[in-house]
Amino acid sequence: MSKEMVIQIENARVQMGGRTILAVDHLEVSRGERVAIIGNSGSGKTTLMRMLKGYVPCKEGKVVVMGDVFPIKDPQKIKTHHRHIGMIHQHFDLIGRETVWQNVYHGRLGYVSLLKSVFGICSQRDLQICAQAIHEVHLEDKQRRFARTLSGGEQQRVAIARALAQEPTILLADEPVSSLDPALAEDIMDLLVSVCDAYDLTLIMSLHLPELARKYADRVLAMKNGKIMWDGSSDSLSNDRIGEIYEFMGTNGVVNGNGTRASRSAFTWPYGWQGQPLPGG
Amino acid sequence: MAGKVSLFLAVSALLFWSFQGSEFSLGQFWRGIPQLFHFFGRMTPPDWSVWDVLLTSAVETLQTTIAGTFLGALFAYPLGVLAASNWTPVWVHLPIKAFMAFVRSIPLLLLALLFVSAVGLGPFPGVLALAVHSVGVLGRFVAEEIEATDQKPLLALQGTGASSLQIIQHGLIPQVLPQMVAHLAIRFEMNLRDSTILGLVGAGGLGFYVFLYVKQFQWQKSGVLVLAIIALVFAGEFAAWQVRKRLI
Repeated sequence: MSKEMVIQIENARVQMGGRTILAVDHLEVSRGERVAIIGNSGSGKTTLMRMLKGYVPCKEGKVVVMGDVFPIKDPQKIKTHHRHIGMIHQHFDLIGRETVWQNVYHGRLGYVSLLKSVFGICSQRDLQICAQAIHEVHLEDKQRRFARTLSGGEQQRVAIARALAQEPTILLADEPVSSLDPALAEDIMDLLVSVCDAYDLTLIMSLHLPELARKYADRVLAMKNGKIMWDGSSDSLSNDRIGEIYEFMGTNGVVNGNGTRASRSAFTWPYGWQGQPLPGG
Repeated sequence: MAGKVSLFLAVSALLFWSFQGSEFSLGQFWRGIPQLFHFFGRMTPPDWSVWDVLLTSAVETLQTTIAGTFLGALFAYPLGVLAASNWTPVWVHLPIKAFMAFVRSIPLLLLALLFVSAVGLGPFPGVLALAVHSVGVLGRFVAEEIEATDQKPLLALQGTGASSLQIIQHGLIPQVLPQMVAHLAIRFEMNLRDSTILGLVGAGGLGFYVFLYVKQFQWQKSGVLVLAIIALVFAGEFAAWQVRKRLI
């Protein structure tokens, strides 16, 4: 039996200042898939995510997310759409002067009436969901701490818990580990993948490091100039393939003019961890 | 180099023009120093027989300040949110900003005079004057604080499905609250200082009696009240400093 399709895009175009910044001809993502988007800065990774979240309008083409056809006009439907798509940001974007628990509770705001939230009334269900989300990210002992007092890795855990509290179907992670050191980055990626598996969430993440994409995703999209240039399984993402992708996309944004494939020894990672051998390459 | 020389010349010319126009005279000031001491000398020894006036007028000054600051803050905070250019459309924030600038441009004593003529003598016009002035000053601080707030966490809250009011309650207020309270403390301190002189135009408080006793040449009585003003302003400054120290 084929899996439920949660994202369908046909000929979608996003424009800004009269310039097309995203042009996706075809993209389908099914429930539970783990998709990594790789590409240089400005390649359109974040714009694609922001379009799926509904932050940037798609003027042309067909975009269907969780059965909602874009553009969504009904305010109630916009709210429901936001609830169903959790988002994790590069810089965590927490309210630093609020506690871990309060930040996780923010994930429930889409479900709580204004009156209840004004008076701080939490239902038993909200309390349970927040407690479970905090448990999933192993921060039970720090739930009364102010978010700003936590380390970067812990703050990203809070952001993951906040997204889980939304009871999402899709989790968007925009450069979730770019602000973290390599060891912590692996921890956060392990956590992200494990919660997505546990709750059958579709995970779409933009990553700067191809080796992380290969390790943690089922499928990899490579983007350049707002277009998807390569879409394949992470198993088929060999070192040579990564070389081809980055050669095609241009290392540091410069397209290789002679059209030949760069040799393995000449290839350098565009970002971080340079020269580190790829596992299983 | 030429730029620096012309800037130096321009600033010097401006200063010369200002001192010249304001009839600044060091000699005249030097000759007036004994007169200063004579003025304060007439206030000593303080006549403490007016302690009951001192007590009631000091309490009245404090009450006027608290009521005026509270009333001003009550309107300044919502207006400040509406005046933040990154939160409201231009047709909302521009008129509110203009209104607050207009209110700020009216000197406090003139506002007090207006309210004295409207509602009569006493502390009530003082409360109204302080409140209106506070709306202009505090509202501007609130708007600027909101405009400088990191918007990304607020966008993240919007992404959870939170409504605009929930974003204000759970995202904006926690981020700006310490600065808002600090500004309120400063405003309270300034209002306390201002309310001591509101009495000059009949708007109650310590200033009213200082002016009354000076007019009657009862310098020693007015000296007591001047001491009370100094003590009250010091106390207000200390309280505001304590609040700011704990919050920021």
